[in-house]
Amino acid sequence: MRLLITGAGGFLGRYVVAEAVAHGHRVRALLRPAARTFPPAWEGNPRVQVVCGDLRDAKGVAALLEGVDGVIHLAASKSGDLYEQFGGTVIATENLLSAMVDAALSRIVVTSSFSVYEYLALPQWSVLDESTSLAADPLVRDEYCQTKLVQERIVLECADAHDWRCVVLRPGVIYGRDNLWTARLGMQVNDRWWIRTGASAPLPLTYVENCAEAIVLATEYEGPQRRLVLNVVDNETPTQREYLNALRNQVTPRPRIVPVAWGVMRVLARLAWLTNWVCFKGTAKVPGLFVPSRLHARCKPLRYTNQKIVSLLGWQPRYSWQEGIQRSLSPLDAADFPLADQAQPGAQALLVEQVQ
Amino acid sequence: MIQPATSLYPIEKNKLSVVAVGGGKISEHHLHTMKNLGFINVVGVSDLSPSLARFTAERFNVPGWFTDYRAMLEKCEADVVHVLTPPATHDRIVRDCLTSGRHVIVEKPVSLSHSGFQELWDYAAARNLRLIENHNYRFNDPVRQLEQIVDSWRIGTVAEVDVRMVLNIRGGGRYADENLPHPSHRLPAGIIHEFISHLAYLLLHFMPHDDFRDIGPVQAAWRNHGGGTLFTYDDLDALVMAGAVHGRIRFSCRQWPDCFEVVVRGSDGVARAELFHPTCQLTTRRPVGQHLTPLVNALAGARTIASSGFGSIWRKIRNRTAYEGLSRFLELTYEALRTGGEPPVSFRQMDETSRLVDALLAEENRI
Repeated sequence: MRLLITGAGGFLGRYVVAEAVAHGHRVRALLRPAARTFPPAWEGNPRVQVVCGDLRDAKGVAALLEGVDGVIHLAASKSGDLYEQFGGTVIATENLLSAMVDAALSRIVVTSSFSVYEYLALPQWSVLDESTSLAADPLVRDEYCQTKLVQERIVLECADAHDWRCVVLRPGVIYGRDNLWTARLGMQVNDRWWIRTGASAPLPLTYVENCAEAIVLATEYEGPQRRLVLNVVDNETPTQREYLNALRNQVTPRPRIVPVAWGVMRVLARLAWLTNWVCFKGTAKVPGLFVPSRLHARCKPLRYTNQKIVSLLGWQPRYSWQEGIQRSLSPLDAADFPLADQAQPGAQALLVEQVQ
Repeated sequence: MIQPATSLYPIEKNKLSVVAVGGGKISEHHLHTMKNLGFINVVGVSDLSPSLARFTAERFNVPGWFTDYRAMLEKCEADVVHVLTPPATHDRIVRDCLTSGRHVIVEKPVSLSHSGFQELWDYAAARNLRLIENHNYRFNDPVRQLEQIVDSWRIGTVAEVDVRMVLNIRGGGRYADENLPHPSHRLPAGIIHEFISHLAYLLLHFMPHDDFRDIGPVQAAWRNHGGGTLFTYDDLDALVMAGAVHGRIRFSCRQWPDCFEVVVRGSDGVARAELFHPTCQLTTRRPVGQHLTPLVNALAGARTIASSGFGSIWRKIRNRTAYEGLSRFLELTYEALRTGGEPPVSFRQMDETSRLVDALLAEENRI
């Protein structure tokens, strides 16, 4: 297939490009205009065409889709205020969808996030899967949750209206090189001090290379369902304590962890919420960990399953979570290696070996 | 002229019906403020992006959303339109709104030139409609306190007015985005055009003058100290004279911390208003004698600084921003619209602001 991959220069995108090429696809990798670098392996590779553009500008989007069979849409904005995130996530998607309609394209994979789910109403230790309700009151959550919900809605509405093949993937916590910390661990005060809450809560981790493979498999999905929403979580879900201990032992200087019991944090957040409503009619702005819906979204002990994605796509995460951490801290980055493809079946194995 | 059709959306009795053009960040402030003013019923919002229009409408319980403001003007029965789009689009949208027979409240600047403003003003006047530019910072508490100090002669005769804004917009955010340059980079004053009206109306507000002819000479140094091609200018240093009164406008992206202050120096003292960390500080002759006056001023200053520090944290918790003046501005504006009284921002204030911005940008005044 000829694929347009948006957000190709990002943390996840670089691995998705490598994985798509490994699966024999031709890739048009979209980088943002100010992106200065991309993996050297892309240069001169006949299967990768690097293009620059910004999806927030509707003008250039049609040209990006010329000669393309499907789209893997990873581009999104995670920082800035609501309107910056809205532009980078929703308006970018809106322009892409509109250009896809004009180009009569009908295949898209979009990465969303676990942040779209409702956590406050979920009982502890219940199973979070694709049937879990979406956030009931996104306005009290964060900008990322709000914009991802809108993005999902417009993608699914457009796919329904035009009968596209569409997979919305909701990865849990994607971790990898330079992205080993997650807000689900609590609060990172600085490089040295971490506040951890909910030590026994399992983490819905997916290692970036595993997740990249799931995305490419979703693109290749030819099953009977034309619209799919799938969670992406690796087979093992280590607890916060296990993950942090493994991480702490490999990071220098060794961080200091201040544990706060989940029950205590819950009570503190509840008190802060009550005070806010009684004294300020809910208008006060307090740190995320003191907002119950955000605290629950980050640290509530829940169980996770990847049953649906495994059964529908046949995805099997290639690396365990310990291997994921090891590869993330290795001096060699898999995204920088020569791209393997189906014509050279041994190449991927070699690459795995080199990294470990 | 587009005649409003029968409204598709419910009209509440005894409430003014309002629509908003533009669903961005400034729209959020307007809609939030209007929601808190009990006598306004927002019936429609439009934005070029359907997702943003719909999102904004859902968020503020607005019954109608549109991607074409003309369709909104046609379908919604509204008394007033808020124009909250980028400055370069104002002329066309404001004219269309006036043509449809609605009063217009518009974000600054009404137009990118004084001639553009004058044309729109004449167009509104010919239709007996109001055209009101948002001068929200004039209604912030520290500026109102400063007004009281100046009006009560506690600093004597005004000799110098200094308006200074420091914003680290080069450090990140929408204005520093090189991927898709913000449309304001293409304005005559580049990105500073987003802020220049605020600086101009505050300066003029505190500079005593009978007529705009009293203003001058004007000299302005527009610079791009940070270099690069994204920013046309990132620094402005301007001198504006009005007879014996010296005025100065400063804008910089290269200093720390961010600030927005108005300092008025007079024959008997100095008063300083800070809008980002709301305070108003007065140094003046105290009724304790020559020797103790510095001590009393220092103690008063220390008290102001301490309360500003705690106040900043408190405001952060209370989620209050420097847009607090918008609420008072809109309240007074709608009061004027309901009663037929004078709006809080007069023609003269808008006219002079626009003229001063033109003068600051004029080639012959550049240094």
